[in-house]
Amino acid sequence: MKIVVSWLKEYCPTDLSSDELAELLTAKGAEVEEIERPWDRLKGVVVARVLEVRDHPNSDTLCLARVTAGDAEREVVVGVRNMMPGDLVPLAGPGATVPALPEPLSARKIRGVVSDGMLCSPWELGITTEHTGILVIPDDLQPGTDFKQAYGLDDSVLDIEVTPNRPDFLSVIGIAREVAAATGVPLRVPDVALDEDDEKADEVATVEILDLERCPRYLARIVRGIGHSPSPIRVQARLTASGMRPLSAAVDATNYAMLEIGQPLHPFDLARLKGPGIVVRPANDGERLVTLDGVERAFTSDDLLICDTERPVAVAGVMGGAVAEMSGSTADVLLESAWFERGGIQRTRRRIGLSTEASTRFERGTDPEAVPLGADRACRLIAEWCGGRVLAGSVEAGGAAERRRVSLRPSRASLVIGYPVSAADAARAFDRLGMACEVEDQDLVAVEVPGYRVDIEREVDLIEEVVRVQGYERVGSTVPPVRQVGGVPPAYGFRALLRGSLRRSGIREVRLLSFASQEDMEMAGGDDPIRITNPLQADEAFLRTRLLPGLLRSVQRNVYRHVRGVALFEVGTVFRMKDGAADERPSLALAMTGPASQTWAEPPRSFDFFDAKGVLEALLEDAGVRHWSVGPPAGWPFHPGRSAAILAGEDALGMVGEIHPSLVERLDLGGRVAAAEVDVQVLMAHASSEIEVRDVPRFPPVRRDLAFVVDTATPAAPVQAALLEAGGDLIETCLLFDVFSGPPLGQGKKSLAFSIDLRAPDRTLTDEEADAVVRRIAERLASEFGAELRAG
Amino acid sequence: MDPQEARRILDEERERGLSMIASADSSEALDAAKVGVLGRKSRFSQVQRALGSFDPEDRKRLGMAANELREALQSALDERSRALAGAEQARLLEGDRIDVTLPGRRLRTGSLHPLTIVEDEMVGIFTRMGYRVEEGPEIEDDWHNFEALNIPPDHPARTMKDSLYVEIPGFLLRTETSAVQIRTMESQDPPVYIVAPGRTYRREAVDATHLSVFHQVEGLAVDEGISFADLKGTLETFARALFGPDRRVRMNPDYFPFVEPGCQVAVSCFKCDGTGCAVCGNGWIELLGAGMVHPKVLENCGIDAERYTGFAFGIGVERVAMVRHGVSDMRMFVEGDVRFLQQFQGAGA
Ligand SMILES: [Zn+2]
Repeated sequence: MKIVVSWLKEYCPTDLSSDELAELLTAKGAEVEEIERPWDRLKGVVVARVLEVRDHPNSDTLCLARVTAGDAEREVVVGVRNMMPGDLVPLAGPGATVPALPEPLSARKIRGVVSDGMLCSPWELGITTEHTGILVIPDDLQPGTDFKQAYGLDDSVLDIEVTPNRPDFLSVIGIAREVAAATGVPLRVPDVALDEDDEKADEVATVEILDLERCPRYLARIVRGIGHSPSPIRVQARLTASGMRPLSAAVDATNYAMLEIGQPLHPFDLARLKGPGIVVRPANDGERLVTLDGVERAFTSDDLLICDTERPVAVAGVMGGAVAEMSGSTADVLLESAWFERGGIQRTRRRIGLSTEASTRFERGTDPEAVPLGADRACRLIAEWCGGRVLAGSVEAGGAAERRRVSLRPSRASLVIGYPVSAADAARAFDRLGMACEVEDQDLVAVEVPGYRVDIEREVDLIEEVVRVQGYERVGSTVPPVRQVGGVPPAYGFRALLRGSLRRSGIREVRLLSFASQEDMEMAGGDDPIRITNPLQADEAFLRTRLLPGLLRSVQRNVYRHVRGVALFEVGTVFRMKDGAADERPSLALAMTGPASQTWAEPPRSFDFFDAKGVLEALLEDAGVRHWSVGPPAGWPFHPGRSAAILAGEDALGMVGEIHPSLVERLDLGGRVAAAEVDVQVLMAHASSEIEVRDVPRFPPVRRDLAFVVDTATPAAPVQAALLEAGGDLIETCLLFDVFSGPPLGQGKKSLAFSIDLRAPDRTLTDEEADAVVRRIAERLASEFGAELRAG
Repeated sequence: MDPQEARRILDEERERGLSMIASADSSEALDAAKVGVLGRKSRFSQVQRALGSFDPEDRKRLGMAANELREALQSALDERSRALAGAEQARLLEGDRIDVTLPGRRLRTGSLHPLTIVEDEMVGIFTRMGYRVEEGPEIEDDWHNFEALNIPPDHPARTMKDSLYVEIPGFLLRTETSAVQIRTMESQDPPVYIVAPGRTYRREAVDATHLSVFHQVEGLAVDEGISFADLKGTLETFARALFGPDRRVRMNPDYFPFVEPGCQVAVSCFKCDGTGCAVCGNGWIELLGAGMVHPKVLENCGIDAERYTGFAFGIGVERVAMVRHGVSDMRMFVEGDVRFLQQFQGAGA
């Protein structure tokens, strides 16, 4: 809401500067986001009298005007010839500046004639937003008068962010009321003195409400015989600065009154209303109306229409219809001032997708008591600016609801706020806010809530008013006695542990958006995704079912940006539809590509399967997962020969592998990408944080290095498992330290070399005992894998 | 050999021996010199062996001279040996020399995401104050995300921001982690002291100052006698832990449907201490929204709103991270650009 400061001060005449007002209002909950000074650049423009207008010798469109601002005469070139000799016009001489132009004016030659300055249009002066002709000043001013001074444009505008609970802040009076409460400067009421005609409004038109729930109050006033002229210059300037477009004086009057009081008003051309009468009723399904913006709209029975006795003429609380629109020939006006129920206006506004100044106010809540005030104020302004006769009285249906009475217990206020509040303190605060209250006893203050405070419903709302008026800065600073030990739930702590492990493995954490595109779905082979019904972009149509696609895109961005050696992980939620409900699971993924070697000291190599697997092994170890195994290839989008499922018992923990070359190519990733994805929930189910300490061995180990020759196709893991089983309890550690193929081994053969530490807890092993273990191992591996123990 | 000759030999051997020792330039040469001057076949040994045939007077005199010569030679040998060992080692060390300016061998270093770092720090402050972390689903139902939080369907607050809905009727991506408040209060009797970190969603185009997915740390305290002053003191404690001991906290009235009174909380700038700078503008950094839990919210969770009061606050993790680390473009948080991420190397628990 934009509030013109001079306007505000008409209703609360404080001495505070704009900056002080901004600070004060912000501290009271009407946050001033910006102080605008729309006429800051309006300097040196004076009122001048036109002496002569003649054709420009070298142009058909331009003309020359001889003017005087009380001193010497000067000649200016003018683009629009809408002024006559004798008219008063704004003259910007050389050196003057105007809001619409970035540079100061100077005398310059236009088509061979020197223009000694410029005559200004309202747009150039910042009075309207439209570029029309030269402003012909209607007021009787002395030539030479400073234009800015004359119209009080040494002004500023407060841009206030109005919270939805305070629709009363959507008006000059509402803000003035808050300033009055904060400063103690008394609030003034708008001038609504009317010189009423003998003719009575209720003898001219009728008003009927068929849905009192949606429209509890409707009031019409009538003004006959209005003239057609622009509204006063200062009014136009204020409307423009408030973000509204000046139109005709009669329409401007309704907008001006609305900005002032917060009551939306709508003028109808009385002659175009059948009856003339107003009927407020729900629309019939499919009923149509062309609104003022020229669009034909269809309505449902949940929309409320304003009709005359035959047909709809406006969408209640949102916008008027074209059929009864004001025009340049309108003589008689029926002015609507009504109170509509909030929710209904909101539903209609959403349904037809049309938001107006009126709908904004109605859907947040207007003051039922302001219905006559708004109408009176607008009539008063119309009479003042357009002439015409204001008919006596009004035509009204329905009425204002009774004021709510809400009580406050000072003891409760003291408890909630945290400092002592007495009944007198509370009463003083309500008095400041202009809310009538009664101290019923020491611990009970009853407040009559004015209609404009739609937000005050119960005691706590009054408590807020007390602390707001007294000032939030008065609130002390204490800390509650927390009688529990803080901490995090196991799942939260577990994810932190996983992040720590991956970080120690040299991977960088990312946090990506939770959305997925159709393409991501194909990339991930994701089943049962959850669709977003109102995505902003097509590539956010789903919630991610896996982390990998997003992670690969992130890797891709880095590759494109020439980052060397990318290793990323994410721990986040993935979503799937399960039996019609959302299944959210914590997941973990990592991906790495590019140079794995870091320094001159290592041989150069790139990330591959074993990097990802090594990271995963460390992760499983850190998580305390002791029993896991490598399963079959992981499937798409992994490489069929360089990937594996990771199992814990029967449960699928996740998968590790290199990304399928065709996907690497499609994403243009340039080389092998090693990745893994893990279901964190399954991982946690198999994790153990228990540490059971065994005694440190006291007897020395016997170390044997054993190299077995097997077929190349034989996987290492089952060989090692069989070795451990055959070796029995005496095997303390078993390290696969070399894998080798080529001469002198035969074709299709490879050697697996294990370093084995044998140890007994209660004695030093003899060579004979060790030899026996080795023999058992050799026999087992020979029979199971055809393995041959190499002499070594 | 007569005593006279013995004496001459000793004198000659002194001169010859010392010179041999001095000229030995390796431990091998020194060993040879030792054999030459003191070995069994040396002229010195011949003199020693001849001593027995001398008369007692000469024997005693020449014996002393021989001993004295042996000690002198031995000490010359030792000294030379030490010198040679030192030189030897120096030569070995020289051969072992490396270029110490080459970079060291190291493991690859990972890093935590700045939002993880900031969230951990904030959560850590509250858990040390005795708060427990609670989590909830990211896809929420209308009740927990709106209705229970005092935001009925036609409430103007529903138009404040656009929500993302999913295909499951009545469910949406949560707009605040406040929903966790409701879930906690529904399942737990007061006292309640919790923080709820997590992801929240908004239907918003991603640009430098907006994200469609962002993170919050929501706090809730419900107990007997909780006051607005408790809220201020708690947030002051938090702000000082996060931004330094001299920070002040300022509350201005603000509106959130689930609190009353509500406030917007700003912290005096940690860069300029409140005088105004590029980080803060006017000396205050707007940090979060907060307020006293609305009695309707307590009632919605079956809590006696007359007996218990509470406060709640919601802190934007991105906001804190931006202020803290001078991040000017929010997209950096969601792109995963290594050049951004690596700047947080070493940070975080
Ligand atoms: Zn600062």
